Amino acid sequence: MNITRRHLMAGAAGLAGTALAGQQAGAQSRLSVGVVLIGPVGDFGWSHMHDQGRRRMTEVLGDRVNATTVESVAPPDFDRVVTQLVRTGHRLIFTTSFSYFAPTQRLAPQHPGVFFENATGPTTLPNMAIYNARFYEGRYIQGVIAARKSRSKTIGYVATFPVPEVISAINTVMRGAWSVDPSMKVRVVWVNAWSNPAREADAARALIDQGCDVLCSHTDGPAPLQLAEQRGIFGFGQASDMTRFAPRAHLTSSVNNWGDYYAERAKAVLDGTWRPTDTWGGLGSGMFRMAPFTNMTPEEVSEATRIRDAIAAGTLHPFDGPITRQDGTVVIPAGRRLTDNEIRAQNYFYQGIDVAMP
Amino acid sequence: MTLFEAIILTIITASTPLLIAALGELVVERAGVLNLGVEGMMIIGAAAGIAAAITTGSSTLGVLVAVLAGMALSLVFAALVLGLAANQVAAGLALAILGLGLSGVIGAPFVGVQRAGIGKIEIPLLSDIPFLGPLLFRQDPFVYASVALVIGVWWFLTKSRAGLVLRAVGENHAAAHALGYPVRRIRLLAILFGGGCAGLAGAYMSLVYTPFWTSGMTGGRGWIALAIVVFASWLPFRAMVGAYLFGALTILQLHAQSAGVPLPSQFLAALPYLITILVLVLIMRARRGGAAGPASLGVPFVPDR
Repeated sequence: MNITRRHLMAGAAGLAGTALAGQQAGAQSRLSVGVVLIGPVGDFGWSHMHDQGRRRMTEVLGDRVNATTVESVAPPDFDRVVTQLVRTGHRLIFTTSFSYFAPTQRLAPQHPGVFFENATGPTTLPNMAIYNARFYEGRYIQGVIAARKSRSKTIGYVATFPVPEVISAINTVMRGAWSVDPSMKVRVVWVNAWSNPAREADAARALIDQGCDVLCSHTDGPAPLQLAEQRGIFGFGQASDMTRFAPRAHLTSSVNNWGDYYAERAKAVLDGTWRPTDTWGGLGSGMFRMAPFTNMTPEEVSEATRIRDAIAAGTLHPFDGPITRQDGTVVIPAGRRLTDNEIRAQNYFYQGIDVAMP
Repeated sequence: MTLFEAIILTIITASTPLLIAALGELVVERAGVLNLGVEGMMIIGAAAGIAAAITTGSSTLGVLVAVLAGMALSLVFAALVLGLAANQVAAGLALAILGLGLSGVIGAPFVGVQRAGIGKIEIPLLSDIPFLGPLLFRQDPFVYASVALVIGVWWFLTKSRAGLVLRAVGENHAAAHALGYPVRRIRLLAILFGGGCAGLAGAYMSLVYTPFWTSGMTGGRGWIALAIVVFASWLPFRAMVGAYLFGALTILQLHAQSAGVPLPSQFLAALPYLITILVLVLIMRARRGGAAGPASLGVPFVPDR
């Protein structure tokens, strides 16, 4: 069942009368799962991949679950949407945005019989788990590949907002690049949006015109990658496999995979083993994967594969010391490694990144 | 190609959709109708344009359908404000929201479909002129069309009899009506022209600028077009200046960031609007407090029987 917020609101009575009746008939064996999305299912990025996860979950668990997706839910509408989901018998609800963290935290205690799962929030409650993926692992691999591919030794980064997640991604790309060539540079443009294709394209144009010849992007869509294709340089996809948008420019994409996690959590509710966990999965646990490496020489592919496997196996870690801030302060000395909380709290650029914090 | 040339080239591309949409709205407002729904008509054009282009495989048909889609939506607006004499501001805002929602429905089946953009047309000989050649004569068809539109609208408004009548309707619809001019029919045609232009600008977004569909892809350009009309004090050539100024500031802001120039990007992004307010104030002062736009702008017209 895939319905929009408007339907959910307008047809609340109808829903309670018809769909719910069907659910309650088999309520003991069948679990209703709600998925709340911040964007449209068709964004071809973040929300799209969460919906793919919902699909995968219903494939794995078959008749034991049914799922309701509510798309494009703005934070002010969140409470009403979730309350409605609870009323219509949904016992496991995934709230798939950091923007939903605070409201989920507020609503969870009011519905103790319902299990909540928030994507990318920082803390748990007795009936609220959190989950996220270690996207930085993919950024490190991007940095390594970019350093091999770049002739101008300059990476262009189409960034969204100066929040720790994005800042740490830029840091990690450069860590990867420096592992190949310490003279690598990065230029950054903040577009102040998660999705604004035309501005993303403009940002990509500006970066390319200023000499960047490999583009990384943090926005949801394929616009920067398409520009790379047009201008004959290289780029990376984001959230889903974007090879088809740029058959000659695409190097690899980080492909989010929430489905196995969703299936596992729904199964835990069915089996009565659900716990409020804090999951931060990565390449190793398959929370995301790298799309096939394209437009690379066999040597480059084997190097990228080796690094990907080393990160997945845990033998290579992108945040081993020494790490120094832009202004010269030492964050951690050699021999230490950033803890998970320190990784999540990076609000500074590393030394060597010649970009002013906006 | 030098960095300077590259920047100018990008500015021309970024300004073209603004210019096309602004010219359409300029004619509408000159006829005394305020249509705030440019963003909605633009995004309907973007969605319908790429949908038609993907379905038929023809970019030309895509552009045509985009223009028709913009016109169709403007017809809804016309029915409300001309037929029912509804409040123009409310109807325009409703149109913008309706367009955004409807475009999502039209575009939904085409999400993630890859398509080659419309290429550039080189004008032989002229495009070989150093510096100016590549900038002015190696552009996509929309850029040429936008310049032709500026000249066409200017000629129509200032040199043609029909343009004079349209302006009369916009300045004083009661007087124009008394003289026997079909006020509502003239306004209907103006609204349709505005809708067509907005649709064309939308087609530029989804067929040239970023050749794929995603909801909300016009990113507020329809609202900027409205600001440009005010900035231009309802004159076509000034609209061109305005569109290029707005486009230039957007692009230079990104270049400044990339080059590490320590200027707050938020300030540069806000600059066009500050300039618009300033221009509006200056116009009001120059006219000693008189109306800045067409005198009948936004006033519903009900013919007496």
